[in-house]
Amino acid sequence: MDTTILGAWMATGLTLFIFSFLYKDNPLFKLAEHLYVGVSVGYTIVKAYDTVVVHLIVKPIVEQGEIALLIPVAIGLMMLTRYMPKAAWMSRYAFAFIVGLGSGLAIPRTISSFILKQIEDTVRPLLAMAGGDGLTFSMNLLNPASNLNAIIILVGVTSVLFYFFFSIEHSGPGKMVARTGIVFLMIAFGAAFGYTVMARMSLLIGRLTDLIEFSDSSYGRPTLWLVILTIGALVVLGRRSANSTSQPE
Amino acid sequence: MSFSERMLKIDRRIIFLVIGVCTLLPLLYPVGLPIRISPEVRSIYDYIEALPERSIFLLSIDFDPASKPELHPQAIALLRHAFRKNLRVVAMTLWVSGTGMADQLLKQVAAEMGKENGQDYVFLGWSPGGPAVIINMGQDLYTAFPSDYGGKTTKGLSVLDGVNSLKDVTYAISLGAGNPGVEAWYVYGKDKYKFELGGGCTGVIAPGLYPLLRSGQINGLIGGLRGAAEYESLIGQKGRAVAGMDAQSATHLAIIVLVAICNLFYFSLRQQQGRSEVQR
Repeated sequence: MDTTILGAWMATGLTLFIFSFLYKDNPLFKLAEHLYVGVSVGYTIVKAYDTVVVHLIVKPIVEQGEIALLIPVAIGLMMLTRYMPKAAWMSRYAFAFIVGLGSGLAIPRTISSFILKQIEDTVRPLLAMAGGDGLTFSMNLLNPASNLNAIIILVGVTSVLFYFFFSIEHSGPGKMVARTGIVFLMIAFGAAFGYTVMARMSLLIGRLTDLIEFSDSSYGRPTLWLVILTIGALVVLGRRSANSTSQPE
Repeated sequence: MSFSERMLKIDRRIIFLVIGVCTLLPLLYPVGLPIRISPEVRSIYDYIEALPERSIFLLSIDFDPASKPELHPQAIALLRHAFRKNLRVVAMTLWVSGTGMADQLLKQVAAEMGKENGQDYVFLGWSPGGPAVIINMGQDLYTAFPSDYGGKTTKGLSVLDGVNSLKDVTYAISLGAGNPGVEAWYVYGKDKYKFELGGGCTGVIAPGLYPLLRSGQINGLIGGLRGAAEYESLIGQKGRAVAGMDAQSATHLAIIVLVAICNLFYFSLRQQQGRSEVQR
């Protein structure tokens, strides 16, 4: 059998088995779920072994004599000593190396990229200089660099920061600022949720597009046959579980 | 039980069915709703359009098949555009589970555009270390990837002529479904090695990347299937993303209507309960 056709049948079947959870939890869904986890882990292990062990360690050491690679190999092996209680102390050195290196790489770069750069972007002039004409104020909401947007961002950032400042009571004018912060937070959550809905619908569209494509006769109409099979299996499973619950013990 | 109460306790499978039908019908019978191009998608298109021929375009395919419906159309559209502009495409992935899919998609688009492996494009595959790979590439690309995905030695490949590290990359785009992705490419790549960077991402992480866009840390952003559809429209080769836009609009409309109806029933129920309490 052509691998494309076999792939189409597999993809269609597994998609329908996963979708069957929308009706109710059932063994077909469990089968597809476990298969997904197993295949993903298996694929990752094989790829990691082939790339790391074969191509980045064994081949360079054996074929090109890169003995220096034995140092990272030794550090890596030290991590595995966690499984041997008597030698587990050695893994601490490996972890210390990883944590130290990781922190050293990440902390300065993260501060530079996510704190300093973002502060720099937030603290923009509220009025712009326009050559010799003096100060101008741009009102275009669609332009992220407009002065109006700079004011909105300034108000948003300060009010949200104030909302998370718990050292003083949010009363009087402080209450109003904190409430403004909540409004900005709600708008941000709404936008994030809207995008999430869009993303989830895109995944559904992707699967349905495939199901439509695989309903073609060139693939042997797997969608049609497997929809019938899945519905049939759900009916049989439903009846069986109904019978088993109705039978007295 | 009043009508509002019954509607609020409706079997959720009916809602699933409504959403399913709203998605399926526009896919079977497309209407062709217009697609407005957003400035963040256009800026990526314009930047690639302005690149001289044989410039180095690095595409980091940082997703796996779980995000395929959103990011695969983006990758195809970007590759078609880059190949049409005769750019040298250097593709790679930071996600081990995405290697096979990335290789397949690159081969598919290259074959369609008549491009040759090693001459016009190369797929470097995956290398362990996540963000550390980016730093490694910034120092020496050939240490991070001594061989390409097919096992060919990268040093000497004509597609990599004059390329030693990330400093020689003209434009890089990361299509990310999470971490490592667009943010890692900015933090460990662009900020340090000073190449221009664009981003593509799933809808879920798009709102988190807009601050990078506004501050100029990335020069453009293709967000989700919608962004892919915009890019397909820009290059004039409509594909799966554009085909899915009618369904996307229909489902969004259905969800808005469902939210409105749900609120209507909720407030009507509250009103009824208020009235009955007054009568008591």
